[in-house]
Amino acid sequence: MATRTGWSPGPAAWHDDLAPMPAAEWNYDRAAHLLTHAGFGGTPEEIQKLADAGLERAVQSLVYYESIPNPKMQPFVESGLWDPTLNGFPESRPEATDRAEKHGASMGIESKPSGNRPVQPVSDRFFYWLRATMLETRRLGYWWANRMLQTTHPVEQKMALLWHGHFATHENKVRDYRKMAQQIDLFERGATGNLRELTIKVAQNPAMLYFLDAQYNVKGAPNENFGREVMELFTMGVGNYSEKDVREGARAFTGWYFDDLAFKVDQDKHDGGVKAFLGRTGTFDGLDVLNIIFEQPVTAEYLAGKIYRFLVRDELSAELRKKLGAVLRDHHYDVKPLLTVIFSSRDFYSQASYGGHIKGPVEHMVAMMKHLGVDTMPGVPDFNQSTIAMGQHLLNPPSVAGWAGGKAWITPGLLIARGNVAREVLIPDMTGFRDWNFSAGSDDILGRRLRDGFDIGAATAVNDPSNMSAFDRVALERDEKFNTRISGYVGWEQAARKLIPTPRHAARFDLTELVVQSGAKTTSEAIDYLTWRTLRVPPAQAMRDTLVAFLTKELGTDNVLRARTYMEDPLRITMHLVMSTPEYQIV
Amino acid sequence: MTMHASRTNSSIQSIVSDVYLRSPTRPTRADRPLSPARRGGMLGAERRSPVTTKNRLGDSGVSRRDMIRLGAGGVGFGLCGGIGPVPYLLSQASRAAAATQSGRILVVFEWFGGNDGLNTIVPYGDATYYKHRPTIGIRERDLLPIDAHIGWHKSMSGMKHLYDEGKVAIVQGVGYDQPSFSHFSSASFWHTAAPNSGNEYGWIGRTASALDPAGARPNMIVNISDSQTLAVKAEKHVPLVFIDPMKFQRGVFAQEKAALDTLAAQHAPVGDAHRYVLEVTRSAAQASEVVRAAWGHYKGKDNPDLRLLDLDKVAALIEADFPTKLYYVPLRNSLFDTHVNQAAPHDRQLQYCSDAIAGFFQEMKRIGRADDVVMYVYSEFGRRVPENTSLGTDHGTAQVNFVIGNAVKGGLYGKPPSLTNLVLGDNLENTTDFRQVYATLIDEWMGADAVKVLGQRFATLGMFQAGSHA
Repeated sequence: MATRTGWSPGPAAWHDDLAPMPAAEWNYDRAAHLLTHAGFGGTPEEIQKLADAGLERAVQSLVYYESIPNPKMQPFVESGLWDPTLNGFPESRPEATDRAEKHGASMGIESKPSGNRPVQPVSDRFFYWLRATMLETRRLGYWWANRMLQTTHPVEQKMALLWHGHFATHENKVRDYRKMAQQIDLFERGATGNLRELTIKVAQNPAMLYFLDAQYNVKGAPNENFGREVMELFTMGVGNYSEKDVREGARAFTGWYFDDLAFKVDQDKHDGGVKAFLGRTGTFDGLDVLNIIFEQPVTAEYLAGKIYRFLVRDELSAELRKKLGAVLRDHHYDVKPLLTVIFSSRDFYSQASYGGHIKGPVEHMVAMMKHLGVDTMPGVPDFNQSTIAMGQHLLNPPSVAGWAGGKAWITPGLLIARGNVAREVLIPDMTGFRDWNFSAGSDDILGRRLRDGFDIGAATAVNDPSNMSAFDRVALERDEKFNTRISGYVGWEQAARKLIPTPRHAARFDLTELVVQSGAKTTSEAIDYLTWRTLRVPPAQAMRDTLVAFLTKELGTDNVLRARTYMEDPLRITMHLVMSTPEYQIV
Repeated sequence: MTMHASRTNSSIQSIVSDVYLRSPTRPTRADRPLSPARRGGMLGAERRSPVTTKNRLGDSGVSRRDMIRLGAGGVGFGLCGGIGPVPYLLSQASRAAAATQSGRILVVFEWFGGNDGLNTIVPYGDATYYKHRPTIGIRERDLLPIDAHIGWHKSMSGMKHLYDEGKVAIVQGVGYDQPSFSHFSSASFWHTAAPNSGNEYGWIGRTASALDPAGARPNMIVNISDSQTLAVKAEKHVPLVFIDPMKFQRGVFAQEKAALDTLAAQHAPVGDAHRYVLEVTRSAAQASEVVRAAWGHYKGKDNPDLRLLDLDKVAALIEADFPTKLYYVPLRNSLFDTHVNQAAPHDRQLQYCSDAIAGFFQEMKRIGRADDVVMYVYSEFGRRVPENTSLGTDHGTAQVNFVIGNAVKGGLYGKPPSLTNLVLGDNLENTTDFRQVYATLIDEWMGADAVKVLGQRFATLGMFQAGSHA
């Protein structure tokens, strides 16, 4: 068997040293380290290509990816759930039904001229859209995950994931999958371009404007949400501006809003007066404010630090942060030079940067596919259910602060979830799987009752009146103009009629093939191959021995070729053991 | 002090004795008599008696079957300092070594999002309130009055009921100087009890350290959340963090169980991140089994009010006699950040919370632990005094806190903040530093050294019944 380059962290002295690593220090393991951190890891073949290229060309090919063909990227195919009558979607169900009562129609649906529950169709339509955009966003997440897995531009996708968590909005509030898709596109295109330009585009992005209540930020009544988050979270960090700057900055952004998917400024709502912002005075608008923010030294340090901690490791000294900020600033916020410096640096390959990063759930899942040689994200288990269980819901970060990352990804519950997700990928429960896109959750019982012939009143009655929550009690007393509980169910059904089903195939891989092709003949050699392929931190001797003993016992022999016809499931269970270890979670 | 050896494996027995002998604290009373697991469930079903039970250390009574069920994996780890990676057997022994107010529990219920205190405990007797809030001000007819000046928002009938029973302390004007208007910054100040400063550990984590300096007692802290709150970050205690007990279990095939137990945590750490994951791995495996067992036995599972806001998980662990002293429950999917069209979402959120709290204390009564449990409710800031042009309110400063429980001397605490002398533009000036409330809970209720936890002395508020003091 060919010897494989082992775990080779650089000397401790390389810590915080941004000088390039000498070319002679390049090897397969360092190439694996690079691909793992710059992207989502890779198969041995992908890593070997980088190893063969040498440090400089490897980094260059990863960072300057534009000319590399990317054949597997496909546009997102919509289910056809949206139509223009949903433009200007009401903010709440009461608003929707009030509009209908006042104007006779809402969201393209008219109220009934006579009969019971005259506004029911409008209420149904409201819940239809809530369900539709949520379900389509799940498809969007799955589509995006496949892009991360199939792209030949891993840095582009990795950075797009960073920007999504950095300029965070969640579909739960935005309520428009099209705006989320628009954001993914923005983050992919701007992934490694100019950060100032990306930030401006984000500030003019409909999802972000809606998410941060920009429509309420008007002349005479500035709403601070947007202005605050731009400074606190997107560019400078707390402590680098005053509350007055927040209020003055908000005034500059007044009138910034959107029409459907296009940015627009409502000049009537814009406060054109003089503002005092970060020591400057003038009749600033949002663009001016952003430019002033990018003139501050702290902005470069804040953003460079964020990039570094996402890609390399959590620990970042103030000194290194300053140096990184200087690189970003010297290049006028072009990201590629910074990435080149980082990926070429001694610090990147130092001891501290080896094993210093806990993979986030989405990253983890994509990497898992690479480890197994899977080229399409499976449908069983469901991608979103898996990553949610591990603590990350793509396109739905918990708040505008995004995901905390680092150690926050690991708690007892989340760690157990990682092992469980691995098992579901390796040994999927095909016959037990229930597609949550086609299940109305707790409203399923309403569907059953309706189909059994109950009328709406009876269908929505709770079984045990003494066991009702306060919310249920209120639900029963609903206005007879419509019934919200039924709408929740009906809305789901209507969306489900159009929703393109996610293919529910298992992950396609063949561990037997991989093991045999590697040249392994014994269970020892098989374990060595599999752990080399999947773990960055090499296994401790005791772990290796346990795995070998386990596999040998399962196969009834230590001769892998003898066992080859029935070896697949035992190998998969062995991989479950590997993927449940602490070592598998870090890179 | 002998352990019952009849059914125990002698090597495990000797390790247990070692643990006990090494433990710095000698027990004076055990909090809960330890019942043999074979009676049903790992945590036993014996009804507890009040805190004056005699020392039952010698009667661990854990069956050999249970130890095999848990796997010998825990023994293989060795007894790492203070992390508490101990299997069930050891946790029982060290639980019996509890020296402090044995049964006392603090549940922190964090109303994240910035709850509008002025529309929660409404100063309806003050005309200035309506001047500032002509549209969203709560009218007297929509209140549950406390006196001629203030009243509860009408959705809070559950908590009003508890208040009328003398079980709710309302602390008004709680905040800190130079307040932050950022959710995340302000929350982190509350979590660390270090406003405009910082601390590596959370105040709950530091309280655990004060109660158990050796960090030998596992599962001191439970955090019902899908990611660990800063408030519970502790030096030596690994908080038990989970959301769904049903999902909090390792999916394992029969043939891999033994290997899985052995595999965890065999590696020497290669760095800080790795070390952290190793620590959590150790506590995760055992913790999941006991949590699931507790959940399986919980009799209040169908309580619809509790279910909504995760307080049912707390009740389940308390019913199962968990050794946990400190529970932290952040509100999920909070509607409290009411910048826009405040009335409906605030109404709903207050209703959910109030019903959940009322339901929780009913559960405590049913379980027989109502005397032992105190709940603390706070938010990272209140909201601005005047309403904004979107029929909502922006981020503010001081707000109302609640402390709830049988042991609490119900009533009003702290000075109501002035509605005329506003600060920082149009905000309430706080009249009570939140660390006074913390100090009261840490010292008067949990019996720990509040000065140590908070770094300085804060005057406590005398919130607890005589006889419940340290």
